[in-house]
Amino acid sequence: MKELVVETYRYRELIWALALKELKIRYKRSVLGFMWALLNPALMMLVLTVVFSTIMRFAIPHYAIFLLSVLLPWTFFSQSLSYAVESIVGNGELIKKVSVPKLVFPVAAVVANIINLLLSFIPLALLVLAMRHPFYATWLYLPVPMLALIIFTLGMTFFFAAANVYYRDVAHIIQVVLSAWFYVTPIIYALDFIPANRQWLFKLNPIIYVINGFRLAVYYGLLPRWQSIVASFACAFAALFIGFGIFRKYQDDFVFYV
Amino acid sequence: MSDQGNVDKSVVVRVENVTQRFRVIHERPDSLRELFSKFLRHRVSYHVLDAVKDVSLDVPRGQMLGLIGRNGSGKSTLLKIIAGVYKPTAGRVHINGTIAPLIELGAGFHHELTGRENILLNGLLMGYSKEEMREREQSIIDFAEIGDFIDAPIKQYSSGMHTRLAFAVATEVDPQVLILDEILAVGDAAFQQKCFARIQNFRQAGKTILFVSHGMQTVIKYCDRAVLLEKGSVVADGDPTQVAEVYQDVVSARLHPLVHADAE
Repeated sequence: MKELVVETYRYRELIWALALKELKIRYKRSVLGFMWALLNPALMMLVLTVVFSTIMRFAIPHYAIFLLSVLLPWTFFSQSLSYAVESIVGNGELIKKVSVPKLVFPVAAVVANIINLLLSFIPLALLVLAMRHPFYATWLYLPVPMLALIIFTLGMTFFFAAANVYYRDVAHIIQVVLSAWFYVTPIIYALDFIPANRQWLFKLNPIIYVINGFRLAVYYGLLPRWQSIVASFACAFAALFIGFGIFRKYQDDFVFYV
Repeated sequence: MSDQGNVDKSVVVRVENVTQRFRVIHERPDSLRELFSKFLRHRVSYHVLDAVKDVSLDVPRGQMLGLIGRNGSGKSTLLKIIAGVYKPTAGRVHINGTIAPLIELGAGFHHELTGRENILLNGLLMGYSKEEMREREQSIIDFAEIGDFIDAPIKQYSSGMHTRLAFAVATEVDPQVLILDEILAVGDAAFQQKCFARIQNFRQAGKTILFVSHGMQTVIKYCDRAVLLEKGSVVADGDPTQVAEVYQDVVSARLHPLVHADAE
C-alpha cells in the first residue's frame, strides 16, 4: 500500500498527463470538445427532468435531483471501471517498451473520470437552483463521500484491470455486472421502498455506503450518521487493499500477456 | 570480468547470470471459453524457452557496446531486461546511474497528440519531470527540425519527422545509459550524420550506449566492443571486427558457434 502512495506521488505528472491525454482523445474531433464533459450530464439531466416531471410522476418531489445526486457518482464509478478495465491491455504496446509502474494506467483512467465527475456537479448545482430546491450547506460535505468513492473505485479498478490481462472476457462481463449492480443499488429508488425485512439484503452491497452521503447531502441536506461514514471508508479501503494487492502480485507478469 | 573487483565504480550496467524463461503456451486460453474447454481436457500444453540463458555482462562507463545476433537470438529480450521492461526469471541487473527505460524510440507517442504534447508525455514516461522537459523542449524541436509542425498532431508527420523527434527526445533528456535498437537505419543521410555526431558527443561525455544492429559495418565503425548472442547465450565478446567475423560464420555457415575466449 505504501508502494501505491509513493509511486502515485512520484509519477503524479505522468498520471496527470495520461489522464488529460485520455480526455483529449475522448473529445477529439467533436466541435464542442471538452464542453461535452459539461453538456453530457446537463443534457441527461434535462431528459430525466422532463421524463420524471411530466411523464412518469413519482411521489418524490424534485425527483431529478433525488436521482442525479447518486446517479452522477454512480456514472463516475461505472465509467471509471469501463475505461480502466482496458487500461493495462490497451496500453500493452507501451508496457512492452517502457519500464514504468503499471499502476499509473488504471490510476490515470480514474483521474480522467474524476475530472468528469467534478464537472458534472456544475450542471447539478444549476439544476438545484432552477428547480428551486434548497441549496443546502451540506454540499460542503461532498468531498468526504467523494474521497470514499474514489478509493472504492480505484480498488475495483485495480482488480478488474489485472483480471482483464489474463482473461479478456472480463471487459465484457464487467458491463453486465455493472448494469445488474445498478438496479440492486438504490439509485432510481430509495432504500425505504424495499420491504423492511429484505433491506438487509441490499445492505450487503458495499457501494450503498459509499454513495449514500451524496444523496443525503444534496437532496435531504443531511449528514450521514458516523456509522455510515465509517462503513463507507471501511468498504472503500477493503476494496483498495484487495484490488491493489492482487494487482501488485501480478503486475510484473502483465508484460508477458498484453 | 576478471577485474570485477576494481572496476566497480566504472561499471554502469552489470548483468548477473540473467535468464529469461518464457513458457510458450500452445494456444494459450485467451478467453474463459477456451479455459473451460482446456480445463475439461485437462491440459495446457506448452514448452519452455530460455530466450536469454545465464548471461553476464559488465558494461563500463563510456563504452558503446554493439549487441549482435540473428533474429530470435535474445538481443531484444536482453535489452528489455536491462531497461527494466522484463523482470528476469533469474539473475539480476544493476544500473549505476540513470537509464532511458525504453527500448524503442518514440514508445508512448500518441498519434492524436501534437509533437509538443508527445515530447512531454515521452519525457514523463522516462521518469523526467514536467519542468525538466519544458527546459529541453526547444532544443528537442531544433534538433529534430520539426519547425511549425510541432503543434500539429503527429499523425500528420512523415515517418522521418517521427523518427527525428523520437531520437531527439531520447538523447536530449541526457540519460547515462542509452539504448538504441536499430534506429539508425531510418532517416536521411544528413540526419544520420547528425545522429552519429550526437552519439559521439554522448560518448565523449562518458555516457554508455547499448546499440543493437544487424549492420556489421556500423557496429565495427562505431562500437568499442561487440557481443554476439546466439540462442540466448553470449558466444563471442570483444573486438567488434573479430566478433563480426564470428557472426558472419554463424549466419552463413550456421555453424555451431564456438565460445570465444574473450567472453569470460
